Amino acid sequence: MTELIKTPRAGETLPVTAGKRTNPLANVFDELVRFAQSRSLFMLHYCTGCGAIELPPAMTSRFDMERLGIQPMVSPRQADILLVTGYVSVKTLKRVILTYEQMGSPKYVIGICSCTVNGGMYWQSYATAKKLNDYMPVDIYIAGCMPRPEAVIAGLRELMENIRQGKADSWKDYYRHYDHYLGHQQRLFGETWQTPTDVISEARHYGLFGPDTLGTHTALLEQHQKPLEALEMKVDIPELTARR
Amino acid sequence: MIELILMPLAAFVIGLAMVLMMRRIGARLQRRVGPPLLQPLWDIIKLHGKETQTSHGLIHEFGIVMAIGGFVAAVTLMPLPGMNGLAEQGGLIALVYMMMIPSLGLALGVGQCANPNGSIGISRALTAMLAYDIPMVIVIFGVAFFYGSTSLVQIIDAQQAGGFATWGIAEMPLLALAGLFAMQAMLGKQPFEIYVAPAEIATGPMVEMGGKFLGGLFIMQCFQLYAAGALYTLLFLGGGENWLTFLIKVFAVVAIPMSIAFLFPRYRTEDVVRLVWKWPAMIGLLGIAFLMY
Repeated sequence: MTELIKTPRAGETLPVTAGKRTNPLANVFDELVRFAQSRSLFMLHYCTGCGAIELPPAMTSRFDMERLGIQPMVSPRQADILLVTGYVSVKTLKRVILTYEQMGSPKYVIGICSCTVNGGMYWQSYATAKKLNDYMPVDIYIAGCMPRPEAVIAGLRELMENIRQGKADSWKDYYRHYDHYLGHQQRLFGETWQTPTDVISEARHYGLFGPDTLGTHTALLEQHQKPLEALEMKVDIPELTARR
Repeated sequence: MIELILMPLAAFVIGLAMVLMMRRIGARLQRRVGPPLLQPLWDIIKLHGKETQTSHGLIHEFGIVMAIGGFVAAVTLMPLPGMNGLAEQGGLIALVYMMMIPSLGLALGVGQCANPNGSIGISRALTAMLAYDIPMVIVIFGVAFFYGSTSLVQIIDAQQAGGFATWGIAEMPLLALAGLFAMQAMLGKQPFEIYVAPAEIATGPMVEMGGKFLGGLFIMQCFQLYAAGALYTLLFLGGGENWLTFLIKVFAVVAIPMSIAFLFPRYRTEDVVRLVWKWPAMIGLLGIAFLMY
C-alpha cells in the first residue's frame, strides 16, 4: 500500500495534457457552454444524512433554488451535482461512489455539514467515513452542523462562479489520481472492492490518463476484476414452471 | 421549402417559451419566483455540452431522433399564420399518425437501455397513449365530420369565416371539452403523470438518459407543448389570423392544463385508462351525437 495521507492539492502542476474534445468547434463555444453549465445545475436526489433536511427550505418558497437554475433530478445519469449531506457510513459510501461514477462529466460534489469535512460528531465512529475528500474529489465544502439554507445557497453560488470561470474541474482529479482514491476505498471496503464502472478506460477516453491513474491499488483491482456480463434472462417462478 | 425550415424553428422557440411558462406557473402556484427567462435554453445547451454522453447503442440514439423527428414532421402539418407548410398535402389523419411517432421512438430508445425503471416507464407511457388516443380520435373525427373535411386549411377557413360564432369551441363545445381533457393526458401532466413518476420509477423513460439524450428529450418537450397547443388552437379556436392572436391562443391553451396540473397528485395506470376512456370519450361521443342529430 502506498502512502494514503497525501491528497492532491489544488494548483498542483500535473503532467497531463488538456482533455480531449470530441467536437472540433467546442473551444469556440467554451465560454457559452461554461456559462450555461453554471446557470443550469441538476442536483441528484441522494441525501445521506441529517443535512438533507436543509434542502427542502432551500428549494421551496422561502429561498427558491430554481431562481439559480438548480433543480432536482432523480437519476445519476441526468445529474450534475452530487450533494453529500451529512455523515456517510461505510455502507452508504459504497453507494455514493457507485452513484458518483455513474454521473456524466462534468460533475461536481458538494460536501455539506461538518461530518463530510472531518467526521464531525462521528469522528470516533468505526462505521463512518471521516473525510469525504479521500474517496472522491469534492468541489465545495459547506461546513456547519447543520448549515442554514442561506449557507447552502451561498455555497452553491460559489460553485456556480467557479464553474463559470472554468475552475471547478476537480472531477478530472478522480481520473488523474484514481489510484489514490481507489487506495482509500480499498482500505475501507477491503481489497476485493470493485465498481461496475471502468474508470481507467474512461480516463483514457477523456485524455485524463496520467502517471497517477495506475498504481499499486489498481494492480490489486486488476487481479480480481471481472468484466461486466449481461445478466442471464430467465424466469424462475415455481408456479409457472410447474404449469409447463 | 423555406417554410419547412421556419415552421419547426418557430415551434422550437415558442416551445421554449412554453416550457418557461410551465415552470413559472408551477413556481407561482407554489409561491416561488421560478426560473429566469433563458433557463430552458441554458438547460439544453448545458446538456449538449456534457463531456460524457453515455450511449446504450445505435437504437438508443435512433429512438431520440425519431422522437424529435416525429414532432418536427407533425408541426410542418400545422398551418401557421402566413405559412401552410405541408398542411394542404397531409390532413388531420397524417397529423394524428405523426403525433404518435415520438412515443414509439422513445419506446425503441428506452428499450435499448435495459433499465427496469425505463421499461416500466415506457410501458406506462404506451398504456397512457392507448388511453388518450381513443378520445383524441373521437374528437378529431367529430371535427372532421362537422366540417366535412380532414384538411386543416379548410377547417381553419371555415372557422375564420364568421368570427367567434364559427369557431370550433362555439360550434361544438362538448368536443372542445373532451379535447382539453385528452390534451391533459397527452401532455403527461398530473394527474396523468404516471410514466414520469420521479419518486417511484426515477423519471421512467428518462432514467438512462444523460447529456445529449436528455437534451434531445428537453427539445422534444418544447415541440410537444407547442404541438398540443397548436393542434387545439387549429381545431377549436379558429387557428391564427395573425401571429399575435395565434400566440395568445396557443399560450392560453397550454396554460390551462399547466395550471390544473400542479394542483393534483397522480392516478395509477389502470385508473388513468378507466378515467380517460370513460369521461372524455363519453363527452366526445355525446358531442358527436349532438352534431349528427
